[in-house]
Amino acid sequence: MKLVLSIAAFCLPLAAAAQAQITGAGEADDIAAELETAPIENAAEADPWEGFNRKMFAINDSFDSALMVPAAKAYRAVTHKKQRKGIRNFIANLRTPVTLVNDVLQGEFGRAGKTASRFVINSTIGFGGMGDPAERLGIEQHSEDFGQTLAVWGVDSGPYVVLPFFGPTTVRDGFGSAVDVAADPAVWIRTEPAQYFRYSRTGAGLLSTREPLIEPLADIKADSLDYYASIRSFYLQSRKREIANGRTDFDDLPDIGDFEEFDELE
Amino acid sequence: MRHANSRRSLLKRAAGAIALAAVTLQPAYADEAAEAFVQGILDQAEPILSEPNSDSFYSGIENLVTQYVDMRRIGLFVLGQYARQMTDAQKEEYFPLFQQYATLIYRNTLSDYGGQRIVVTGSIDRSERDIIVNSKLANPEPGDAFANAVIHWRVYRDRDGNMSVVDAGADNVWLAIEQRSQFTSLIANNGGGEAGINALIAEIRKRVDQG
Repeated sequence: MKLVLSIAAFCLPLAAAAQAQITGAGEADDIAAELETAPIENAAEADPWEGFNRKMFAINDSFDSALMVPAAKAYRAVTHKKQRKGIRNFIANLRTPVTLVNDVLQGEFGRAGKTASRFVINSTIGFGGMGDPAERLGIEQHSEDFGQTLAVWGVDSGPYVVLPFFGPTTVRDGFGSAVDVAADPAVWIRTEPAQYFRYSRTGAGLLSTREPLIEPLADIKADSLDYYASIRSFYLQSRKREIANGRTDFDDLPDIGDFEEFDELE
Repeated sequence: MRHANSRRSLLKRAAGAIALAAVTLQPAYADEAAEAFVQGILDQAEPILSEPNSDSFYSGIENLVTQYVDMRRIGLFVLGQYARQMTDAQKEEYFPLFQQYATLIYRNTLSDYGGQRIVVTGSIDRSERDIIVNSKLANPEPGDAFANAVIHWRVYRDRDGNMSVVDAGADNVWLAIEQRSQFTSLIANNGGGEAGINALIAEIRKRVDQG
């Protein structure tokens, strides 16, 4: 189950962490040409751009194996566990303003208060965000992004899409990530230190996200019959929970077979 | 007279309160029997999980899975709409293979919890027959990224009251749902129907043979 969690953890921040310029999601014609007509029972997992997505996924996966995994291993080799935890905290703390804005946009004022307190506590007595004393005070971390805000506002997710380098997302959440990136002041300050800061943060963010997932993702890849479909399901399931702020009930789970019906099939 | 009236109204009120309670509680009763069922399995799993590298680890997990997990039901579920298209010959081949494959996945997943104790924290019933039991790590290491994770078990109760596990997950991400996504995708991408199911069976066999 740790695998499941890890995947969820990996898919979500990747889009947010990547600060690279957004390249096009492919020409509309390409996408249309790749439309899949395979009937899918569960609308939530419908994947009309599967052909395009699989190609992007394969490209991202080879990029991952060739560059990200070795880099993450090197990062692990030169840092101590505690240092990596500090770096993870530091990067999460830098992201707090984005979460705060989206808490407010979603009308979640209680959560916004928590986010603001976390930022103040961790930036001061948490040594600029390296520590997480707020967590010990019982103010747990949560993360919001503009994609989630749109979902709360009632915008439908649109099709699942795999973007180059960004990885799995949906049309709505990909747009949301772009907005979050654009809302970041460091993106617009065109000075050398800002540039330097931006690249370091992106690099550190990617490594610090990928490092704890070296083994879990390798396991999933080894166990899966269809790695692409595995990741798609993990992403879509965990995203649903993020949007509901963890308050999901279990009503929307599919029946494990219409129970009675399955009894007859035997 | 007045006395009788007030008694009647009291009865009415009580009836009203009971009806209201029944309506509001309907969708989410806890199910203590299902909780005890899962805790029983977890208790049996604890000594096995405490030695994740021993020879008996795999066989121990395998025994638990065989005993408590309804592989046939999960096997049908993960086929999605294709469950009905399987021929008898395919069924005969598929179910034993699926059992081996799913056991392998449970084994690999549970080995991550080596040395941990998992305790039941509560349950929610979707219906009388379909119950979600929640659990968590009893003593997570400080700073463990999964310290706050909710581990779910989906329990099915058959008509005779026998219980079995039909899915497991963490933080609302479920294994069987993920497997269904893989299986239906694989079948569809290999032409669907009988040919697609054959392709799936071949893939499972390949994975199981790798051990």
